[in-house]
Amino acid sequence: MKEVELDCNGEACPIPLVKAENKLKEMEIGDVLIVQIDHSCAMKNVPEWARKEGHNVEIEEIDDGEWEIIIEKVK
Amino acid sequence: MDEPKTTGIQRSSTRTKRVRKKKKSQLPYGIAILLLAVIFGILLGTKNSGMPIFWITGLAFGYILQRSRFCFTASMRDPFLTGSTSVTRAVLTAFAITTIGFAAIKYGAFVKGLPIPGQSYVVPISFATAAGAFMFGVGMVIAGGCASGTLMRVGEGFTMQILSLFFFIIGSLWGAHDFGWWKLNVILKGKAVFLPDVFGWIGAVLIQLLIIALLWIAADKWEHREKLVKN
Repeated sequence: MKEVELDCNGEACPIPLVKAENKLKEMEIGDVLIVQIDHSCAMKNVPEWARKEGHNVEIEEIDDGEWEIIIEKVK
Repeated sequence: MDEPKTTGIQRSSTRTKRVRKKKKSQLPYGIAILLLAVIFGILLGTKNSGMPIFWITGLAFGYILQRSRFCFTASMRDPFLTGSTSVTRAVLTAFAITTIGFAAIKYGAFVKGLPIPGQSYVVPISFATAAGAFMFGVGMVIAGGCASGTLMRVGEGFTMQILSLFFFIIGSLWGAHDFGWWKLNVILKGKAVFLPDVFGWIGAVLIQLLIIALLWIAADKWEHREKLVKN
């Protein structure tokens, strides 16, 4: 199992989503992707997209206004 | 909160051991700001009786926008990017509610024989509408937010969008500078349509709600079509 961190701090809304989408494509099933974001909008659309794709998703607020979205690639 | 929040997903040990920084309570700041907001509202009231209403609606709008993560940009972008239309449908629902609200305000003035408020916003449809919408659409996706979204995120402290706000102001000034030309050469060539003049008050509201409902259904279908293709 691999764990990949994707630093998207300072990136505005659609960019974290597009980056996460591309990164996840390269990864194997069972790998975990951690997307670090500080744009509140991405906290909505990244998990929504990942859940829709059927992956396991968790959100953790690591600091005020900074979140980690943890995505486990399922399929 | 002693232990980090870990549930389903197994993460490597180095990361799960990290302790979350203990947060300082922000409640005193919140109460102080609320008090300041009330005092400022009262001060505004002494200058002009209409101002506190603007102050309260402005604060309420900002609060709802931020807490609900309501994003007009996402409503237009996500259907294409992720196939998700939840925000699109939220915006359509908001349009439906405001349709009824504004119709009620306007009709209220109309039956009393008063001038209908907001009629100066009934402007002709023209090529300028499409050109402006296209430019605004490109701009807001690049800038990461529309007007309200940019303001909200500047308030949240997202530094990149302070830059957006700066150029948003420059763009608005530029637009205002050129507006005379657009108005003279493009906008005035179109025809202004006020729906109640054409369909009557009830008809206008019903037709607008019907169009919104059709868009809502289309958005819902679009989201589920994606699922059908994938599974």
